[in-house]
Amino acid sequence: MADPRSQVSASVPQKPLGFSASEGTTIEMDPMEYTLRKRLPRKLPKRRNDVYINMKTDFKAQLARCQKLLDGGAGHREICIHGLGLAINRAINIALQLQAFSQGALQLAANTSTVELIDDLEPDDPDEAGEPLTRTRNNSAIHIKVFYPSA
Amino acid sequence: MDLRGEYLPLQGETTTADSISATLPSPSPGAKQGLATGFKKVLRTEEDSPSPFPGLLPGVLEMRVKEGSKIRNLMGFAMARMQSDPGDSGQAGLRQVVFTGSGRAVTKTITCAEIMKRKVGGLHQLTKLRYKGVQEVWESQEGGDAEMTIHRTVPSISILLSKDPLDPLEPGYQPPETQTALWEEREGADVPQPAAKRSFDQTVSEPQSKRFCPQANESKRCAEPEVVRRK
Repeated sequence: MADPRSQVSASVPQKPLGFSASEGTTIEMDPMEYTLRKRLPRKLPKRRNDVYINMKTDFKAQLARCQKLLDGGAGHREICIHGLGLAINRAINIALQLQAFSQGALQLAANTSTVELIDDLEPDDPDEAGEPLTRTRNNSAIHIKVFYPSA
Repeated sequence: MDLRGEYLPLQGETTTADSISATLPSPSPGAKQGLATGFKKVLRTEEDSPSPFPGLLPGVLEMRVKEGSKIRNLMGFAMARMQSDPGDSGQAGLRQVVFTGSGRAVTKTITCAEIMKRKVGGLHQLTKLRYKGVQEVWESQEGGDAEMTIHRTVPSISILLSKDPLDPLEPGYQPPETQTALWEEREGADVPQPAAKRSFDQTVSEPQSKRFCPQANESKRCAEPEVVRRK
């Protein structure tokens, strides 16, 4: 089904089995084959004015959604646009577009952060008694506050 | 005909939304078109624009991150400059560094800044976003000397990291060590246990969690398991 991840995370121990590696480190792998499953990023706050940008949804739809939050009935004074990894570019693009359309009325304040992501490595061959492994890695993220200056 | 021609009026206010979105997220369609019509990108030059950080000392180190830059090279250089002791080769460690990158190098630029923040510690950060003009020269591959110059606007990022305090009121300012505090600060009590990194079972079982699906650019691959071959 659409959500195989919940099963995955249920079958995998929550503590990484001494397999966590920081970025850049080379990890010695078993010769056996694993299936790599990437878990979703950990849960982040979601307010009405938070927009998480992704690479699946149409760019224009996401831009329109942000625009709608800023004007119209909702009329938020500020929204927060988040982008992770590849979606950083799109998040910046959307923020800059909003600013351009507002003819300078909107301001941007960007913050960056690192998000820890967890991968599960599941042995393909169940007979080999290989243990499911988890690996953590980091990815960069951006959080852009798009707002009307109060002054 | 060459579809890339449509991108030409990029500077026009009305067309930007559409065309930028078309060109930016995946330059591959562009490349494919280039192949199909026998054009190849031979040159890419960024147009000069004033520094996003006015009032910065002229001697500040500017790291220009490009798509093909290796993070270890960039960081090896920048870290050495930031960390060198006053006694070391007579040169004191720098107080500030700027990382800039545009287009597909934006993510890498952020990653560099994040790595430096983690390694150096106590750094004040100022992040600025803007569009940058880029000139691309495409050359015909099918003989003839047809050449196209394309003007595009791409998003660019500039990150100033400073050992000295910066103006906290400036939009895009981030105080030192906000890696994890970013959310608590903004949300107040609203944050559901931000420190619990591995409490994934809980979050998955929450009905809301599916909405977070899309933010993972990786989630595409979650759906189809990927076989990883070990070297």
